[in-house]
Amino acid sequence: MSCDVASLQRHLEEILGAEHVASDPGSTARFSVDGVVPALIVRPGTQDEVAQVVSACAAAGAALVPWGGGTGMGMGNPPEHLEVVVRLDRLDRIVEFDADNLCVTVEAGMPLGRLQEMVAGSQELLPLDPPDSDKVTLGGLVAANQSGPRRLLHGTARDWVLGMRLVLPNGERIRCGGRVIKNVSGYDMNKLFIRSFGTLGIITEVTVKLLPMPVATATVIGVFPELSGAVAVVEKVLASFLLPEAMDLLDQAALKLLPPALGLQASAGNFALAIGLAGSQETVDRQLRDLEALVSGGGGSPSTFREMDAKKVWAAITNVLEMAPPDPTRVVCKVAVPIGRIAGLMTSARVRAAEQDLAATMIAHAGSGVLRAALSPAPASPDGLSGTVSAVEALRKEAVALGGSLVIQEAPPGFKARVDAWGRPGSGFATMRRIKAEFDPRGLCSPGRFLSGI
Amino acid sequence: MAHKVFVEELRKIVGKGNVLDSDVNLQLYQYDAYLEERRPDAVVFVHSTEEVARVVKLCNVHGVPFVPRGGGTNLSGGTIPLKGGVVLEMIRMNRLLEVDTANLRARVQPGMFNLELGNSLAPLGYQYLPDPASQKAATLGGNVAENSGGPHCFKYGVTTNHVMGLTVVLPDGEIAEIGGMAPDTPGYDLTGVFVGSEGTFGICTEVVVRILRQAEGVKTMLAIYDSIERGSETVSAIVAAGMIPATLEMMDQLVIQAVEQSIHCGLPLDCATVLIIEVDGLKDDLEAQTEAIVNLCKTHGAREVRVAKDDAERALLWAGRRGAFGAVARLSPSYLVCDGTVPRTALPVVLKKVAEVGKKYDLKIPNVFHAGDGNLHPLILFDWRNAEQKERVMKAGMEILELCVQLGGTISGEHGVGLEKMDAMRLVHTEADIRSQLMVKRAFDPQDLANPGKIFPALQEVASVV
Ligand SMILES: Cc1cc2nc3c(=O)[nH]c(=O)nc-3n(C[C@H](O)[C@H](O)[C@H](O)COP(=O)(O)OP(=O)(O)OC[C@H]3O[C@@H](n4cnc5c(N)ncnc54)[C@H](O)[C@@H]3O)c2cc1C
Repeated sequence: MSCDVASLQRHLEEILGAEHVASDPGSTARFSVDGVVPALIVRPGTQDEVAQVVSACAAAGAALVPWGGGTGMGMGNPPEHLEVVVRLDRLDRIVEFDADNLCVTVEAGMPLGRLQEMVAGSQELLPLDPPDSDKVTLGGLVAANQSGPRRLLHGTARDWVLGMRLVLPNGERIRCGGRVIKNVSGYDMNKLFIRSFGTLGIITEVTVKLLPMPVATATVIGVFPELSGAVAVVEKVLASFLLPEAMDLLDQAALKLLPPALGLQASAGNFALAIGLAGSQETVDRQLRDLEALVSGGGGSPSTFREMDAKKVWAAITNVLEMAPPDPTRVVCKVAVPIGRIAGLMTSARVRAAEQDLAATMIAHAGSGVLRAALSPAPASPDGLSGTVSAVEALRKEAVALGGSLVIQEAPPGFKARVDAWGRPGSGFATMRRIKAEFDPRGLCSPGRFLSGI
Repeated sequence: MAHKVFVEELRKIVGKGNVLDSDVNLQLYQYDAYLEERRPDAVVFVHSTEEVARVVKLCNVHGVPFVPRGGGTNLSGGTIPLKGGVVLEMIRMNRLLEVDTANLRARVQPGMFNLELGNSLAPLGYQYLPDPASQKAATLGGNVAENSGGPHCFKYGVTTNHVMGLTVVLPDGEIAEIGGMAPDTPGYDLTGVFVGSEGTFGICTEVVVRILRQAEGVKTMLAIYDSIERGSETVSAIVAAGMIPATLEMMDQLVIQAVEQSIHCGLPLDCATVLIIEVDGLKDDLEAQTEAIVNLCKTHGAREVRVAKDDAERALLWAGRRGAFGAVARLSPSYLVCDGTVPRTALPVVLKKVAEVGKKYDLKIPNVFHAGDGNLHPLILFDWRNAEQKERVMKAGMEILELCVQLGGTISGEHGVGLEKMDAMRLVHTEADIRSQLMVKRAFDPQDLANPGKIFPALQEVASVV
């Protein structure tokens, strides 16, 4: 699609001021999306300016991609074309914090970490914990449906978002949901925009509900010689009355990436199971006792961490793949399967990796059916991609056969030309395509980034 | 196609005995738990996804509207076939297809009653949480379509938080499986938007729900107040103290009196209001939680707090709460159930204003509601034979919704828009908001055949932007 970039730039500068529109190669390269370099980077300062920017782009026929903290930009297929990256970092204000009603409204560019700090002042928290929480913005978290270990007990963005404001691809502003915890006045539009990956518009404001801060927190980590020992504990916990917040399973490579200060590497073993607890002192103590017994009984060696130590443990576990030494050749994928299938999946991922001579690092949200795997070719491998391509394809086939999916979260240039970021769409796809066509008939919002080109 | 021929086609699909088209039979399907009526042209009993798909395809080919019907207990006119056409009676698709405890999921047909699902899971030690007070007669399909809530939704969330996947027959007759046993299916969250779509996106024929282990322990309390204001203040105070009870339900004096007449659960007739508060979870801190709540209630003016001694006492309290709507039917020939929601801290104010609305329009308005969610249900009593009174009731209802919106709330917490609240949609949505919802409707149902004429007010051709 052709678009008069020079006149669009002038128009955007009129709207935002020249200081908030960049076109120099340094800036545009920094905000390239999967190797596609935009012509312009803009930084609107208000929700209304976002609307004006989107209108201007629509009038010029320019494709845009919204950019929050940038932590999820590795997801999705390369855009078909891209003229403008819309950065939301200036939209980082709090709109309203209603502590008494456990509810906060912020602009979409507010980093999750800052929101947590602010609400912690009133002894509240948002129990969503994706990696990179200092950088992840609320808008990005919602658009990419990022999640972390605590989804076991608390669910994902769809369980916490009460309302949003958005700018649609035609520049019109809408609101969906509200700030009350039950709301069926019309369709549940929040659900449509959560995990829509910037393909239906730009989220400019998010209202979430909050949770009172628990009195006590603690974590048990069991290190096991075999995967089966750890998995047996997971199954027993799920079948019990216990109510852990998180239950993550780490393989040997992931275990090695945890800070030595935690002292886990000392206990001989290859797999770690970390179980997070929160609640009253009585329930946390009781669960610690039960879990230590379960871990020991299952052949593992338990270590216990409390309060701040427990927090540090989870910061390390949540970011374990992000903290690995930089490796431009690695592929990170997220595999989702029914909960009970996660152990089998982890085992076969290891086999696939070994077959292709790949180094694998894996962490699973074991009670939620989600596995994240980082696969890197051996340093001496002749062709950097073929091995990971084969392994990922084989793993995807297996996940799909189990009724699940595999999506790419991070990949070197060239990989996505060979493996689709999302896989093949399922049976509701015709409706999805019509939704995209209704909202973005000219295909200007993140074109081609999402499932099967929507 | 002529009516007779069309009905014959339907009979070919589902069998002779499974199509109703006599006047008497159709009359039975012209109303639901709301106040409007309209007769369908035919009623079809369906038994499988394939049958539903064939019926819908036939409707699609002939441009005939269709409306799925579960228990007919919805309170917003959701099952009234406003434009005639076919009503699909889902009630025979009532089997529990699969309970997968390892994956914490169950697969259910939509005609199963909510309570029946609960009863089937209980012996296995599991539960499905959204528990509308109508759970004996409301189906899972209806729950999905209305995104129903219930007393336990304060802690555990509403239907949408528990539905992980659906098999749906889309309005063109295509069968789609959306979401499912695995989480995070790539693509738009069609399951999420289908829940709460009030039968306007097609028909769900299977539901994959999340099941949870039953709680290890539970304690139920009844806090009794002489002032409704003090009672509603307590609700916020409990949450402000960092506690999330499983339920926080409230009933006022008129409701209590009606309930006592019909169910005899030992509620004091002379009090202004009661709260039913339940805590559940690991048993280790339930005593301590109970004590803390009892003390909070007392410092906020409760004259007495009773703690249920055993399952029988607990069951009796819940029988009273669940029977409340039914019991109120003793007070007058009809009533309008309002369903507004406000931020929890606004409860004392809104209750006072609801009482003022009652005075202004000279109407009795008992209250029974999900206080923890800030979800009110003022029940406006009237006699349907009195047209003038009915008009006052409608005005009072609208005024209550306006109040909720002014206080930061919305026009429906769980009963849906249906026919009832189409006009109230503009209280919370701009034209642009409404247009965006209609875009989703068009994407699902380009021919506008699935439960047409619901939810949306006629669009004004002005683009008002917030
Ligand atoms: C006494 C009483 C108490 C109530 N208490 C509560 C409460 O606590 N919480 C609450 O939320 N609601 C409550 N309700 C409202 C009502 O019970 C719920 O809305 C319920 O979910 C409706 O279920 P149903 O099977 O009766 O659906 P119906 O009334 O038959 O249908 C409701 C809507 O669902 C659609 N539908 C039905 N089946 C399907 C399907 N298979 N696929 C797609 N669409 C379908 C219909 O077209 C209609 O639009 C109460 C109602 C009464 C009468």
